[in-house]
Amino acid sequence: MASDEKKAEILKGLHDSVVEYEEEKTVEVANEAVAEGLDAFEAIMGGLAKGMETVGDLYVRQEYFVPELLLCADALYAGLEVLKPHLKAESHAEPRKIILGVVEGDIHDIGKNLVKVMFDAAGWQVFDLGADVKIERFAEEQKKCGAQVVGLSALMTTSMLAIPRIIKTLRDSDSTVRVLVGGAPLNPDIAASYGADGYADNAGEAVEQAMKMLQQA
Amino acid sequence: MSNSDRAEALLRGDKVDRVPLYHFLLGFCARNVGYTTVDMYNNAEKSFQAQLWTFEQYGIDGGPDYGYASYGGWEFGGEIKMPEGEWQQAPSHVNFPVNTEEDLAALAMPDVKTAGSLPLAMEFSKLQQKHGKPITVTLGGNFSVAGNICPPSTLCRWMLKKPDAAHRILQIASDHILDVVRYWSDTFGAENVIPNLWEPMAANDIISPKQFEKFALPYIKETNEKMLGMGIKHILYHICGEQNANMPLWAQIPMGDPGMVTFGHQVKLSTAIEYFGDSCIILGNVLPALIQTGTPQQVYDASRDCILEAKDAPRGFMLMPGCELPPMSPFFNVYMMKKAIEDFGYYG
Ligand code: B1M
Repeated sequence: MASDEKKAEILKGLHDSVVEYEEEKTVEVANEAVAEGLDAFEAIMGGLAKGMETVGDLYVRQEYFVPELLLCADALYAGLEVLKPHLKAESHAEPRKIILGVVEGDIHDIGKNLVKVMFDAAGWQVFDLGADVKIERFAEEQKKCGAQVVGLSALMTTSMLAIPRIIKTLRDSDSTVRVLVGGAPLNPDIAASYGADGYADNAGEAVEQAMKMLQQA
Repeated sequence: MSNSDRAEALLRGDKVDRVPLYHFLLGFCARNVGYTTVDMYNNAEKSFQAQLWTFEQYGIDGGPDYGYASYGGWEFGGEIKMPEGEWQQAPSHVNFPVNTEEDLAALAMPDVKTAGSLPLAMEFSKLQQKHGKPITVTLGGNFSVAGNICPPSTLCRWMLKKPDAAHRILQIASDHILDVVRYWSDTFGAENVIPNLWEPMAANDIISPKQFEKFALPYIKETNEKMLGMGIKHILYHICGEQNANMPLWAQIPMGDPGMVTFGHQVKLSTAIEYFGDSCIILGNVLPALIQTGTPQQVYDASRDCILEAKDAPRGFMLMPGCELPPMSPFFNVYMMKKAIEDFGYYG
């Protein structure tokens, strides 16, 4: 068992190597966490995910841009790959599930990919349908995987018109599903008028909103 | 003044009677005349005709033009999907010709006479010539072409972890832009060609101003210098998205005499004038979303505000939306831009 001091050092190491997008270093520290017998869930949430939270803040403050975020995400995933097999059964009993996709007609997927990273970092199970996703697919996939939340991204005023249609197909198929929307042309008012349960302005906020939705459910 | 005269007069440096109206609006034209969006992108004749008719109806002064923002992938051997269905507004990539450094090492320069959309773009330009319209060729800016040859996420990663690969793909994109512009110049005479370059991917929505300085600026600058060296007189750059922090860098790039620079709603027209007013005609920047979702009065007011802010730009101003006109825009809202020009756009 690692001492408290060692544990703090490892968590900081995981945090810092994600923030500094040091993929190899992240793997190294993650292996150390395993070797020292650290709880994998704690290492993920207190190290990797914390790191990604800091990255999100740096992005909002415009100190980091998309290139940095992508590399931080690479480091995060490399660390997760080491730690996930060591998760104890009770810590991943019922992961929260979200389906993500960019709506039909729209290939702007950079923002959606960042949203996915933040959900991965927060421990959600993400079903990423990619970009230009046909309307009916969201409900079909939701039926298959039972995701509690469906996240829709649209970057154009043209493609955002698909959102109310998607929401209708989702509700027709499962009245309990929650829908989160985001993307540049949307705002809370448009989201509400389309019947969405929530709107997020950026990737970090998306996770917060989704958590809120589940608490209200 | 006739519609064509007006835009050309500004380019010559002559006075115009009123602010000209400019648009990128392929998808909207399809809807306006009853064609499909795909007609606008894969049928030069129909695309040209639909634009001419729409321009006449709405009193649009510049264009017609052919092109789209995902330019580059198809030309280098990737796959592109033509717009289909209810919500698509432009062609989009299906896959990219370059995904790895090995792909990059093996990448061949396309033959500009046969590659991707270029034969159709050339057919379109021949129609422009036949009808006495300005001859344009629409390409991405250097960074966007690179980000359409490989996925934008790959370009982003390479900038930080494999800068040599990033520079290599940017050089390839730059050489290609010059090859295309040379082909157009050889066909129509450089002095008659206006390259239209769209640069959404170098926006600060994606990269930092420092990354712009290192990976976009040198390539864009050199390519523009070379185009002007070929005898091109005017370059139109669509500086798309959030580009405020890049503005001092864009200002170092020659655009011709005058150049034409168009902005999204993110960059204030007064800022555009501050950086480009002395060398370029300024175009912009009514919020596209507002034209689709706002009331006629809101579009009228926003157009008026743009006109009053930029009408007296030293080299001239053209009113246009901040990007492509959303195809689903209500017809009357589009008319309101012209009405605002009629009411506020005349010169004393
Ligand atoms: C589920 O819950 C959530 C929660 C939060 C969510 C969420 C989901 N999704 C996003 N968020 C939020 O979190 C993210 C991270 O914090 C944020 O995501 P964003 O996506 O906003 O932010 C990203 C990190 C960075 N931002 C971006 O990546 C978008 C930047 C801009 C400049 C942009 C780019 C880069 C591109 N483009 Co295009 N492009 C523009 C964009 C300008 C803008 N204002 O957005 C926009 C979207 N484009 C536009 C256009 C017109 C087009 N583009 C096109 C093409 C392209 C490129 C391929 C060149 C490229 C996209 C590459 C790619 N793979 O994504 C064409 C369409 C292609 C298609 N079929 O989809 C084309 C139609 C142009 C043409 N005629 O060819 C405009 C749309 C106007 C309108 N009608 O609304 C546009 C707004 C530009 C403008 N002038 O302002 C938040 O919004």
